Formats: sequence, structure tokens, C-alpha cells
Amino acid sequence: MNIVIDGKTCEARPGEYLWDTARRNGIDIPALCRHDALPGRGCCRLCIVENENAVGSRSVIVSCVFPVTEGLKIHTRSEKIIRFRRILLKLLIERAPQAEGVLLDYCREYGVAGNGELFNDNTNEKCILCNRCSRACQELGNSAIQVTQRGIDKIVASPFNEPSPDCIGCAACARVCPTGAIACTDTREQRTIWNKTFEMVKCAECGKPFATAEELEWMKPKILDFESNLAYCPRCRGRHVANSAMV
Amino acid sequence: MILKEERLTQLLQKFPPERRQSLAVFQDIQQECGYLPKEHIIEAARYLKMPLAEAYAMVTFYRSFSLDPRGKYVIKVCDGTACHIKNVQGRLDCLKRILNLDPGETDKDGLFTVETVSCLGACAISPVMKVNDVYYGNLTEEKIYEILADLYRKEMMKA
Repeated sequence: MNIVIDGKTCEARPGEYLWDTARRNGIDIPALCRHDALPGRGCCRLCIVENENAVGSRSVIVSCVFPVTEGLKIHTRSEKIIRFRRILLKLLIERAPQAEGVLLDYCREYGVAGNGELFNDNTNEKCILCNRCSRACQELGNSAIQVTQRGIDKIVASPFNEPSPDCIGCAACARVCPTGAIACTDTREQRTIWNKTFEMVKCAECGKPFATAEELEWMKPKILDFESNLAYCPRCRGRHVANSAMV
Repeated sequence: MILKEERLTQLLQKFPPERRQSLAVFQDIQQECGYLPKEHIIEAARYLKMPLAEAYAMVTFYRSFSLDPRGKYVIKVCDGTACHIKNVQGRLDCLKRILNLDPGETDKDGLFTVETVSCLGACAISPVMKVNDVYYGNLTEEKIYEILADLYRKEMMKA
């Protein structure tokens, strides 16, 4: 199946979303709620593109949740789309003026800046409620955090805003966050995240802290040769596997 | 009011232990307790086999659930479009004068809670308020005085 993106003919696979097709064909569409490990959710709206139909009229669609069909004609950087994206970025950065990471990169790329004056409050906010963190936690099987409350009070939180019994301190939420909104402090001995403190486990070889005790405990039933595999950090583990393969 | 363990178990076992039952379960608990006590949410989530974070997200999403104890009489004042333009704010001010409660607050005796809701579905008799399960329409300040006086009288008789 072939579709045309920005004048380039791209090969698309049935059942694929437009965003993925573009990405695979070397066309990057900005996205915040979409992550390589998580499906799009269509809530950050940054991945909007224009879809041109047979008679030449165009409509704006959300590419991360738009299934590809034969003969699509897509414009990802038209003047209108750029204008829309700038507005969206402006609203996001005004909501979360302290944001870091990917959102800030996009803002620089599109020449947008904000300091929270538009909404007049929450100038310390970093979160844009893209749900990446809660979905990552869900996908990993813990669901320790969720988007709670509603409307303007919406906030990502652990149950009752207390340390969650389900949290294993894997920090996947902090890693997928596009704005650096999740506070995670690592020292050599401890990690603190979501008001909960975890002891770090050190690699048996290089001594680098690489996981929390709870995280390893949680992985234990899921991994073969637990003792030999999870005593080492990912780097040393790779070397061990390679060495044993050589013998 | 926190339920006894047997009563909660009895209540939970009316439903199959499936996640899709969660809304009905929480509604029943709220009906019985007047609000959702934290320990009951934890217990219900365990019974329904759903993550606690999701149960918490659900009960904080719906406005009709309350995580704080509420009064014996929950006064829900409609602030939908029809009631709004018929000056529901004046009626709220009236409630504030009598009970000294703003929307969302409960008095220290645990007798009254005042809340605003988005629509009670009775716009024809707006402005409307609901005291527990009884609707009162075409509200005037006099009417509010009367309703509250009746409730107070009822409580006095019991005491």
C-alpha cells in the first residue's frame, strides 16, 4: 500500500498508524503523548497533519491515531499545520512553564516561549497531562500512579497522594516523561520517587547501582536464571552473556 | 460511618469480583456510608482485582463520590444553566447565611453538607435543590428557610 507524505511516496503497512508510517519513512512528526514504547493517545495534538482528498480539499487529522488507507495524500509541515502547532505549543508551555525535555526542544524549534502569564497561575507546573507516565506504569503491570481528579484539578498522583504500595521504584514514569515533570532523586544508595524511598542494588561486578530491590523482586518470577542474570547491571550482564557464548 | 468487616464483605459479594463492577460497588458503599472511606476503597479494589491507583482515579473523577465524611442531610443545589440564570447564587447565599456553609463544606455537627451540581434534570421547576433524595423546586428564600426549619425540627424531636 502506498501513500504520499510531503510529496514523497511511502510504503505503508495495513493496520499501521500514519505517524508510524511517516516515522519509518524518515519523516519526523512531533509528538508528546506518543512514545516508542507506548501507542499514541491523540491528546497532545502536536502530531496533527493535513490530509488532502481527491478533489484537493484538506482536513486536519491526528496522525498518531489515524489508520493508514490506500492513496492518502498527507502534508506534515504546511503553513497551516505549523501555525496550529505553534498555538498548541504555546498553550502547553503556558500551562507548564517549568517544563524541560522534549517539550522545550519543540518550543525552541517552533520559536515559542511562555512563562505561565497566560493562565496567571501554576507557574511551577511541569506536567502537561499527556498520560505517558501512567500508561507506562500500567503497561509494566504495576499501575501505581494514575491521572486523578478532573477538569482543571486533574493531576497525576499515587493513590491518596501517599506512597503507593504498588510502586517498585523502576522510574519508568520519569524516563518516558516528555517534560521532566516527575521528581526522581537518585543517590548511590537510594532512589526517591512518588514520596517513596527505595534501596538501590549494586552490580556484582562494577558496583554501579542499577535497580531497586523491589524492582528485582518483581522481575524474579519472570526471568530465567535470575541469580546469574540479575546480579549485574545491564552493561556487565551483556559482557557476561557474550563471554559465556564464546566458551 | 465505617462499615463492619462482615457488612462490607456482604456488600461486595453481591457483585462478581470483576473490574467492570467497580462503579456499582463504589456507589453502593457510598449509599451505605454517605461517603467513601479510604479503607473501603482499598478493600473494594482488592476484591475487584483492580489496581488501587485506578480505583482512586475513578472515585476522584466522579463528582458524586466524596472521600470526606458528609452530613446526614446532603443538600445538592443545582447550578445548571436554567437554575443559574434563575439566580441560584442568591439561594446559595441564603444557605450560607443560615448554615454558614460554602459549597463543598460540611458543618461540624455532621448534619448538613452543601454541594453544587451541574444539573439535576428538573429545569422546569428551577431553581432546584435536592436534600438527600427529595427534590425541592421553584426555590425562594422563604422556602429554603421552611425546608431547613422542618429538618431542624425533625432532628430536635429525635433528640
